[in-house]
Amino acid sequence: MSLTKVDQSASALRPAEHLHSARPPYLGFGLGLRPQHYTDILEGNPAVDWFEVISENYMVPGGQPLRMLDKIRDRYPIVMHGVSLSIASTSPFDETYLAGLKSLAERTEPKFVSDHLCWTGVHGVNLHDLLPIPYTREALDHVVSRVQYVQDYLQRPIALENVSTYVQFGHSEMTEWDFIAEMTKRTGCWLVFDVNNVFVSAFNHEYDPHTFINGIPADRVVQFHLAGHEHNMTHIIDTHDALVPEGVWDLYRAAVKRFGPVSTIIERDDHIPPLAELVSELNMARGIAQEMLPELAVKAAS
Amino acid sequence: MTGKRNTGATGRKVQADRFVEATPAPLTLSEIQDRLQRAILNGDDAVLDNILDNSRTTRQTLFGVYRNAYVGRLVDILQSDYQLTCDYCGADYFREQARAYVGAHPSHTQNARWYGVRFPEFLKASDGHAAHPELAEIALIEKTVADAFDAPDAPVLGFEGLAGYAPEQWGQLCFAPHPSVTRLDLATNAFALWKALKDDDETLPEVSKLDVPEHIVIWRHDTAPMVRVMGAEETMMWTEACRGVRFDGLCEMVATFDDPDTAAVRAAGYLQGWLTSHMLTTVTLAGSSKKKRAAKDVERKAPSHGRKKTVPQSGIA
Repeated sequence: MSLTKVDQSASALRPAEHLHSARPPYLGFGLGLRPQHYTDILEGNPAVDWFEVISENYMVPGGQPLRMLDKIRDRYPIVMHGVSLSIASTSPFDETYLAGLKSLAERTEPKFVSDHLCWTGVHGVNLHDLLPIPYTREALDHVVSRVQYVQDYLQRPIALENVSTYVQFGHSEMTEWDFIAEMTKRTGCWLVFDVNNVFVSAFNHEYDPHTFINGIPADRVVQFHLAGHEHNMTHIIDTHDALVPEGVWDLYRAAVKRFGPVSTIIERDDHIPPLAELVSELNMARGIAQEMLPELAVKAAS
Repeated sequence: MTGKRNTGATGRKVQADRFVEATPAPLTLSEIQDRLQRAILNGDDAVLDNILDNSRTTRQTLFGVYRNAYVGRLVDILQSDYQLTCDYCGADYFREQARAYVGAHPSHTQNARWYGVRFPEFLKASDGHAAHPELAEIALIEKTVADAFDAPDAPVLGFEGLAGYAPEQWGQLCFAPHPSVTRLDLATNAFALWKALKDDDETLPEVSKLDVPEHIVIWRHDTAPMVRVMGAEETMMWTEACRGVRFDGLCEMVATFDDPDTAAVRAAGYLQGWLTSHMLTTVTLAGSSKKKRAAKDVERKAPSHGRKKTVPQSGIA
């Protein structure tokens, strides 16, 4: 089986009115919002430009989570980032979940809504993991139709993030980056580029991460994620629970060079440190971006 | 038929080569997902035929990341949701029970917040329950506190909500509980144990089975879950009030419970406590469909319904 070019004909494109909305704004340097930091955020004035919230944490009936979200969105731009859309699942969408997501988006008015290019379960089961797919034309057609459905449902383009993967399927017909490029071309969706995930998958599957970067359409990336991982020598496990390692910073430099100014966050999911430590790490991202893109440094100084 | 192992010495093979080395007949996406899910849930190895080694390790090791993560992640979710229960019985026993729960209950929720809602029932049905009935009740208290924490928002009825009623109308008033309120009837001293665990006391009370159930009530005051014991008479009146019994009927019931001469005062005292604690949401005049609410809405909107959740900080009232 050889690499197969995907269908790039004009007939494969499916423009929709609500997808002609402008590219989400550049937001600067943000953090994933974590409940441990609510007080420091609201009582302090951390050098954070925006926050990304995990959608499901606020898809609850009421109480403090939504109250805190309201307070923080009054002060900072918000992006919603989900983990359970299961865009690549072959089971029908959970309509209750979609309704909750839409309701939260209408309430929160995020700059954009994102999730992951993966599936989380079939037959009504949720494995609570971001699971891999084979990069086949069949899978591409399936994902494209599901992205279109969700975008129509939410009446807004969504952004999808590349996930860390540990296995590759023997019958894949294209590379992950070709798959992603075609998906965004056919759906108009935006991309969240998780630099750590590219680093992890490239190591696990033994390809050059720069090839991945160069294979992604530069104009579709609206957000960078930066995180850490656990290196097991034979493979890397994505943990998002540690400092961003040097190799990921290097890849971030390359990503900034290719994609230009892109809204960036440090995404820490476990072993959450004090807010000040994350802000310090975020400043490293800010410094690298300004080093790679001098116009950002000028803007920051003005 | 198994996939060919990639033994490239450089470890950096050209991507296209690997696809040429592919394995058996291609499966559909649906078939792959079936296999992969079965592999995680049931240990079925069929999916290994469809995935590749890397030059450093085997597909078994690589796929093992997903297998190992599944149980571990759900057990972590339970441990996060039931921290005090875990503190009480110890991490080893807790995680053993949690693994059994994961095995018996694949998740069917899109939101990890709800994964562990049946864990107290599971503990109650477990072999260890007869020897330690307090464990399931501690877990039930924790679950109920979490439920109060993010229960639906609703207006809070305060004294000002009763101001529009003439004294002669008070007997006809019916009250509705705030949606965050839950009453539990405990067969052990689990509340005292839970409180000691929450307060991080050095010693815990002796476990005891109770001759008569202890009633506790859990609700949310502003954003903080609250827990308190509710006496037998107040529990009776609360239960009847939640059923829609009007206030004069509640007073009559209280009169049959204890000294009838002071029944109205006692009933008014309980009502005062509910009002000041934010345990009520509406008042209705019997025979009228019009509901009176508090002046302020707690939330500007009521939404429809992770990886990480906030651990509620509850108070003792």
